[in-house]
Amino acid sequence: MSQPVSPIREPLITGHKTYHDITEDLVSPTEKTTVSWALATMASALLLAYGVFCLIWTFWVGIGSWNVNRTIGWGYDITNFVWWIGIGHAGTLISAILLLFRQKWRTGVNRAAEAMTIFAVMCAGLFPATHTGRPWFDFFMFPYPNTRGPLWVNFNSPLLWDLFAISTYFTVSLLFWYTGLVPDLATVRDRAKGLRRKIYGFFAMGWTGSAKHWQRFESLSLILAGLATPLVLSVHTIVSFDFATSVIPGWHTTIFPPYFVAGAIFSGFAMVQTLMTITRKLLKLEDYITIAHIESMNKVILLTGWIVGTAYLTELFIAWYSGYIYEMFAFYNRVFGPYYWAYIGMMGCNVLSPNIFWIKKFRRNVTITFFMSIFVNIGMWFERYVIIVSTLARDYLPSSWSYYWPSWVEIGIYLGTFGLFFTLYLIFVKVAPVVAVAEVKAILKTAGDQYVGVEAAKKAEAAASH
Amino acid sequence: MSDFTFDGNRKKFLYGMMAVGLVCLLWTFFTDHTPGHMRFWTNFLHNSAFFTGISFISLFFLAAAITAWGGWYIAFKRVVEAFTLFLPVGLVLMLIVAAGIWGHLHHLYHWADPQAVATDEVLQHKSAFLNKGWFTFGTLIFVGVWYWVARKLRSLSLEEDEKGGPLNFTFHKQMRKYSAGFLLFAAFSSAALIWLWLMSIDAHWYSTMYAWYMTASWFVGATALMILVLIWLRSNGYMPWLNDDHLHDMGKFMFAFSIFWTYLWYDQYMLIWYGNVGEETIYFKERLDNYPVLFYGNLILNFVLPFLVLMPNTAKRKMGTLIFVSILVFFGHWWDYFQAIKPGALINVQHLAHAAEEAGHAAEHGSHFVMGFTIPGLLELGTLIGFLGLFLYVVMRQLEKVPLLPKNDPYKEESLHHHVWPFG
Repeated sequence: MSQPVSPIREPLITGHKTYHDITEDLVSPTEKTTVSWALATMASALLLAYGVFCLIWTFWVGIGSWNVNRTIGWGYDITNFVWWIGIGHAGTLISAILLLFRQKWRTGVNRAAEAMTIFAVMCAGLFPATHTGRPWFDFFMFPYPNTRGPLWVNFNSPLLWDLFAISTYFTVSLLFWYTGLVPDLATVRDRAKGLRRKIYGFFAMGWTGSAKHWQRFESLSLILAGLATPLVLSVHTIVSFDFATSVIPGWHTTIFPPYFVAGAIFSGFAMVQTLMTITRKLLKLEDYITIAHIESMNKVILLTGWIVGTAYLTELFIAWYSGYIYEMFAFYNRVFGPYYWAYIGMMGCNVLSPNIFWIKKFRRNVTITFFMSIFVNIGMWFERYVIIVSTLARDYLPSSWSYYWPSWVEIGIYLGTFGLFFTLYLIFVKVAPVVAVAEVKAILKTAGDQYVGVEAAKKAEAAASH
Repeated sequence: MSDFTFDGNRKKFLYGMMAVGLVCLLWTFFTDHTPGHMRFWTNFLHNSAFFTGISFISLFFLAAAITAWGGWYIAFKRVVEAFTLFLPVGLVLMLIVAAGIWGHLHHLYHWADPQAVATDEVLQHKSAFLNKGWFTFGTLIFVGVWYWVARKLRSLSLEEDEKGGPLNFTFHKQMRKYSAGFLLFAAFSSAALIWLWLMSIDAHWYSTMYAWYMTASWFVGATALMILVLIWLRSNGYMPWLNDDHLHDMGKFMFAFSIFWTYLWYDQYMLIWYGNVGEETIYFKERLDNYPVLFYGNLILNFVLPFLVLMPNTAKRKMGTLIFVSILVFFGHWWDYFQAIKPGALINVQHLAHAAEEAGHAAEHGSHFVMGFTIPGLLELGTLIGFLGLFLYVVMRQLEKVPLLPKNDPYKEESLHHHVWPFG
């Protein structure tokens, strides 16, 4: 055993697993197809198809098929964009920052969280790409020497920075995820036969598990973690700049960047909880994604929920403190205006409801965790809706005040992104081990229940006294 | 050696530092020609707020580490605890500033001047928050609660030494409860105090980021000072169990949070610059136009140098480099507080001077170089030495009282075998 582990730490792998058990338990789900998996995938694909239909409708009819208007130019599109991009934050946080902090519980959830990140960013990217209604002009967004004369992208615009930030984030997340997958793909390859063996062999890139391979793997992981850590902050920081660089009261506030990042981690962890509570049940992974994992993530949710809560209250307070009437009105309007219900949803789900996690019993209850995770994501959706729609609905000119409600097309596209997300997630669950096999093996001796924890310590004590 | 002895020579040295500080403070007071002894009072506020904050943020570090099941820091937990026990002294110092408001001894805060408020709509609006009652009782209650938590965590830790055992987690579990509660309380109370103590010097100006930014500054300053104290203790033969890996990790914290501080600095500056709203830009315009040394020095000391020097992994393992950067960064964040306080205070001086001018007296205008405001002078440095001496004195008094290793902490073994190099 390498370093001592305090018995106060709960084991992260239960059931007295051996290395072989770990391989069996984690790889076997990729080797069989169940009826429930096929049904779920078909249902998701159907939802995706409906989303595609609504997108085609948008392009055919035009953006007029949406209910956004001159006053409220951003509605469901940007709300959903920010919501999805926020969800995509937990993966990198878990894989990069928790790696740097040497948190062993990351190994149970990092693989799925990273996959979720990639899929969520894909869902998010869909909205900026289509919200102009003319996606065939999207190549205008890329700065390259072009034939359009002096027409050039606006480097001063945070919307352009967003394009760079998100594409960088997507690339690094993908690399990170794939790097981690390589040893596990090799494990799957070694158990497979025929064409399956060839395909996994191709993606495993000739991994043999030699000491040199591991050494390079470790170095690369640390470098990627170092690169990804600033990215965790930068992406949502720049998303917040989309709002905060403006002079719209309620948008122009300096706390936006860190508060958006905290909110993103908050919603990201909630989505990880939603997916993991279901996945661990269906794939019987309770020994690898233990109650201790769930409790840790619930603590992160409680923490980030309060960071967001502190920011909400800071904003309200400073809006009053500023003595600036437009700022005061913007916040009065958020709380008591026509969208008061969204504000209640936001405050209720994001700031009030996570407080049940102060109680240990609730943090360790899977059912409560599942419902709470849904609550948090509803709350975070409302937050974006409040920031975007309720702010725009009351601009400087009362004659142009308006009220926005999405059309069936906008709702359809949103539902479609769920279809995309779950289709991709289900395919991922089928083709790759959802829990990182090699990384779980690496912590077995320092986190397996036969080695650490109170029980193991008591046993060792008893053995020593005999 | 597991017990620290605060012997006569060490005491004499720190008394000497305090004496330097006291002389400088008195010198400043009597040679200070700014109205309301502004140079003296800003120096007093600057150091009081800075060191109280370092104590507060050490408590925050302790509470965060306990809540997050951190094990590595146990080797120097007693030093962190000692840092938190400066809080009562900090409370007294800040109450002196408050007493100054009640006794009209200073004009640090424009909002505390009834004549100014009478003709200023914005200040009238803010007077529900910016008033001497809130200032005093906010300070008293919030710092008081911080101190109470610090004492509680300390006494639980000592009780654990006595009554704890290898599988007895009772005390640690209690610590967790206090810590988690404290984190929530700290988030709101520190922001409120930073608004009252510091942001309200520029009484009209506001920024939602300000409190978080100043807190990050405290954090880096505290990390730097703690590294220095740890290296000093080890080089004097105390805490032989403290290894390079503990200091390496503290170095990482200093590096990471220097970048985090820069991140908050950049967000605040960039958004205000981009928005270009006069009420907000005035804060930075004043600093850019009249305090270029402070403004750019802040970025060089607190971002450029630590970023470049601490970037290589090995830099955080060379004690000379670590000491050098820690001194730089500690001074840098003291500098950051200086640039946060002085320009606004000088504007308040000008308000006073104008009022005096109207009353027929000679006025002093401050758009030119003013020693002790435009840059820190020797008196400011002397005052820093004095307060630092006071802080270290309190820390060492606390270190002396208890064993340097919390022997029954559940994470003790983990920390004593802490190992992070090269990959482990």
